[in-house]
Amino acid sequence: MTAAAELPLVDIDELRRVIEDYFERGWTDGLPVMPVTESILAEFLSQTARDPDEVLLAMPHLNRACTVRLAAINAAMAGCRPEYFPVVLAAWTALKAENYVTRGIWQSTTGTAPMLLVNGPVREQIGLNSKGNVFGSGFRANATIGRAIRLTALNAFGLRPGELDQATQGNPAKYTACIAENEEDSPWPAFHVEHGFRAEDSTVTALTMRSVAHIEARHTTVPEQLAIDLAGTISRTGALIHETISACIALGPEHAHLLARAGWSKDDLRRFVFEHAVNMREALAAAGKDAVSGKTRWRLSSGHAEAVPDSTPDADVVRALGCEEAVQIVVAGAHNAGVSAVIETFGPRGGPPAIAAVERLSAR
Amino acid sequence: MLERAGVPAVSICTDAFVIPAKAMADVLGHPEFQFVTIPHPIASLGEAEIETRVREIVDDVVRILTHA
Repeated sequence: MTAAAELPLVDIDELRRVIEDYFERGWTDGLPVMPVTESILAEFLSQTARDPDEVLLAMPHLNRACTVRLAAINAAMAGCRPEYFPVVLAAWTALKAENYVTRGIWQSTTGTAPMLLVNGPVREQIGLNSKGNVFGSGFRANATIGRAIRLTALNAFGLRPGELDQATQGNPAKYTACIAENEEDSPWPAFHVEHGFRAEDSTVTALTMRSVAHIEARHTTVPEQLAIDLAGTISRTGALIHETISACIALGPEHAHLLARAGWSKDDLRRFVFEHAVNMREALAAAGKDAVSGKTRWRLSSGHAEAVPDSTPDADVVRALGCEEAVQIVVAGAHNAGVSAVIETFGPRGGPPAIAAVERLSAR
Repeated sequence: MLERAGVPAVSICTDAFVIPAKAMADVLGHPEFQFVTIPHPIASLGEAEIETRVREIVDDVVRILTHA
């Protein structure tokens, strides 16, 4: 604790009145937000060469768009420091490239959240956590960068629950979801390097996701056993809305090293998981998901009026993933236990992930 | 969207989606937009139950189409 004489002098009643006013205007996610002034906004805008009126992401079906200025206001309200703002901007670029947000996914009953993955030197520069409790609380940069996206969704796009956001349940990541890769404890090239960026670049990857499923595998040193746990989690029938799904495996460093010691690369794991993330046809039938709709291609029972066969009607063993590229792999968390996670990303996917470079001002 | 293109259309939504449907109509500048509402849910119904629902709303659909 600091001695009273060293504390800043403010009128707490006035500060409280401002914060309460933001609540009354509905400009929050339910937690207090930071008040923003023109001078604070200017500090954020000075972190980028981009025009404040530039549109970052438009939702034409809502007649609404997020500009650089709106993104900055909401980043400041979320509690970001100004130097986080280039990461927030890159997040918007990545979300646009991912192309789910622009098609209304934030309004869907599914209740997805935008998980952000940060790579490169910016992690250390702004104090992004990539290690212990990586999905959890306690780190300002992670907490506020993720929250900046949510506040913008609420305030700039008006996607409030029960109004334009129809999520049946949503998920906890709708408050904030921003992780960094633990590149230092990874036995493999960093995620952004794997996808063509330089190690000295900083990037943000957009992963529109539905849930983070926990993997306990402290018992094994056999790579195939661990990979079977991962594949089994990915293929669970409850996740199957479309014919196939996608996932980002967030390996704890201990698991990553277990695989690397056995000579496995990321591609080896990806291939194994693709081959083994399967359901028996009768298991799909038992869950009423052994066919797809001829209209939506969503899974349903072969007895349904809209049912048509899925892509492999003669196979007794049915893949949950459409291609190897539907699986992404990162290393995150502390190097202290055999724990990993499967981030269940939205959509069947395939092809390269949506990665955007973080802008670096030449003056810095 | 269809009506903007000159095609008469009626939106049908279940009662669970009335609030977001009205919010979308407001956002698009048509706060007076009329919907036909039916009881939720739809996705899990069989063909016969769907037909019953359709019979219940067909008069409303015709009313909105011919009124516009």
